[in-house]
Amino acid sequence: MIPRNWVVGIVAAATVAFAMSAFAQKAFLDVGKQPDITILIGSTPWYPAYEKVVGLYEQQTGNHIKLDVTPFGNILEKARNAARSGQSPYDLMMLDTQWTIEFYEGGFLSPLTDIDPSFAMPKEVLTYGDSGYWNVQKRWRTANGGKLMAYTPLGNVQLLYYRSDVLKQAAIAPPKTWNDVMAACTKLAKPPSMYGFVARGEKGNGIRYDWQSLMLAEGANVVKDPEAGDYTVTINSPQAKAALDLYINLLKRCGPPNYGSLGQGDVIQLLATGKSALGDVVTAAFAGFEDSNKSAVVGKLETEPLPAGAGGAHGAVIGNWNAVVPKNTSDAQKKAALAYSRWFLTYDAQRAFAEAGGIPNRSDVYTSDLVKNPKYRWMPAYLETMKFARQELGYAEGAQVEQILGLRLNQALIGEMSSAKALNTAAREIEALFKKNDRHTGMLPALAE
Amino acid sequence: MRDAAGLTSASRAQRQPRGGIGAAINASFRYWSLLPAILIFAALTLYPLLNLMRMSVSTIDFVRGAEVWTFTPLRNLESLASDDVLRPAVVNTVVFVAVSVAFEMVLGVALAIAVAGLPRAKRIVRTLAILPILVPPVAIGSMWKLMYNYDFGIFNQALVAVGLMPVNWLGSTSIALASVIVVDIWHWVPFVFLILFAAVEGIPPDLIEAAHVDGASRWQTTRLVTLPLLRPAIVVAFLFRAILAFKVFDEVFLLTAGGPGTSTELVNLHLYKVFFEQNRLGYGALLSLAVIGAIVAFLLVSRRAALAIGRKS
Repeated sequence: MIPRNWVVGIVAAATVAFAMSAFAQKAFLDVGKQPDITILIGSTPWYPAYEKVVGLYEQQTGNHIKLDVTPFGNILEKARNAARSGQSPYDLMMLDTQWTIEFYEGGFLSPLTDIDPSFAMPKEVLTYGDSGYWNVQKRWRTANGGKLMAYTPLGNVQLLYYRSDVLKQAAIAPPKTWNDVMAACTKLAKPPSMYGFVARGEKGNGIRYDWQSLMLAEGANVVKDPEAGDYTVTINSPQAKAALDLYINLLKRCGPPNYGSLGQGDVIQLLATGKSALGDVVTAAFAGFEDSNKSAVVGKLETEPLPAGAGGAHGAVIGNWNAVVPKNTSDAQKKAALAYSRWFLTYDAQRAFAEAGGIPNRSDVYTSDLVKNPKYRWMPAYLETMKFARQELGYAEGAQVEQILGLRLNQALIGEMSSAKALNTAAREIEALFKKNDRHTGMLPALAE
Repeated sequence: MRDAAGLTSASRAQRQPRGGIGAAINASFRYWSLLPAILIFAALTLYPLLNLMRMSVSTIDFVRGAEVWTFTPLRNLESLASDDVLRPAVVNTVVFVAVSVAFEMVLGVALAIAVAGLPRAKRIVRTLAILPILVPPVAIGSMWKLMYNYDFGIFNQALVAVGLMPVNWLGSTSIALASVIVVDIWHWVPFVFLILFAAVEGIPPDLIEAAHVDGASRWQTTRLVTLPLLRPAIVVAFLFRAILAFKVFDEVFLLTAGGPGTSTELVNLHLYKVFFEQNRLGYGALLSLAVIGAIVAFLLVSRRAALAIGRKS
């Protein structure tokens, strides 16, 4: 005979299990039974949050998702191989916004509305500079005449991080302009124990991306009006030079001596270890700064939108990821990928993503009660930044332009050439590139070197 | 009836192949038997090489999901001539190969002779000495990057602890290439050591003993007996290392990505960027052919030098 307390225990356990399964059944969105899908995703700082949300989807819907987690440097090649093969092993691929042009232009993707004409982006989802749309005629990412090719699973922008305790002690207000940053960091820098300001100076994407925020704030552009087909190179303007001189001064005066090779990991490390008072870093880094296992400055770092330039304008470059469906996967798989995407774009899923440490893509999550929680105190700065942040290098030659800028800016930073020479050189090289591709191009008169 | 050679018609019939086709197959069998090997060689070597040549005179675009090849040989040559990064990359590669291989050879030879002379524990020392070549390059890059870190790296912490200034190992244009070379030397000295250790162990002990009996000092024995006998092995190790040094990629990619500026830009790193980051397949193919050509030229020169050394020894 079974003892009475055993029966009570079994009944209690069954009740809890039933209650849990009932909770698990309550899906954020009913997407029905779908075939298994495979997603290509990078092993990025936001991956753990994404994995948790995928787990929630599987738990709620009973559908299965396989995640192919790939180091950043290999994602592009895996995506290229998948898209160029007979049958893609992936049903959804997470691509860096800079890479998407190649896939849009190459015709490797299925427009989301071709898979299901009723699919529409919820109006609360942030647009991220229309990076998910592609206008074939204009060869440009725009919702105006463009087809919906992708949505943003994660949208990064740079924020200005500052040590509230250090600034308070020095009676310095959070900087609102880049000149404020210069004044504050000069005062706070006490190397090697404390640097005033850190940002990326490493050759390539790092310096190009971080510097462009200052460039935009100073009112400069790389190209005149690419959306309208005017590829006149304007990177060697006096405004761009002012922005570059300011960036060089900031890093030389306030950064560590290895400013010319500082990468994202170094910048985050210097902030997390309390060795820098100010820093220009991606939003996705915030969760790490609040983790006591990784950070010595828990609760001490605050965020502001990136500061304004001399004319009062702000600038920030969007560095988002795009979720795309390859053309060469079966219709059933495409529909399953889209079903998951609908679920992922719901308010509840995005809220769960934020709670897991991700950066949600819906504006209503940023205006929810989450903002009152100190853990999410970066949200107002992020939402404010999205008002002026924009996509850059959104043309087919973007990858080559990035290489040119990444090298020349770095050479100016480390003193291999003057800022004027670096910008003139970059302008000539970018113009030559556009000429080769029969673009309507030209360049500004050279700056005095 | 017998013919001029003294053969009967029956024996003639016996010696001649039976049919026309069979005769042809029999006569050419040794050539046919080579066919599988030739086909495999063609599929694995010739076809990719020919395809690379075809790519090198083309521009390859992807339009509406299809590859579009355009014959543009001059355009790719023009890119090669106007590539501002290629020049420093070639110079850096030559410096990298010359310095790293020279140090690796000297240290490898010295280590091999020293370990071979140990009275005991040779096996343990040999095993420990080859550990660096067993470490994956990605781990090596990450490990050395941490050690070179300006603020938190062990080298600078040690320098500061003894009252010296920290060094900007990877961020200074004048030091970065040397820092990368040091990592390569650390990684590959064990390889040279392994080849030469086997060669030293293969030298008959009576030769060394005879030299000692003749009154040669240890240094004289090494210089006049051991080193000359090691020449063939040294040449092999040198060729292996030089070819691998030309092809270096992962360590530099992880440590500096070619920066700061162009101070550690190497040809293979540049090739990677052209192919995979800029997606310029045609120009990348031309650059690849140039690299292959340079390595082949180096091999031919080295072979002549090796033969000359062999004749001397």
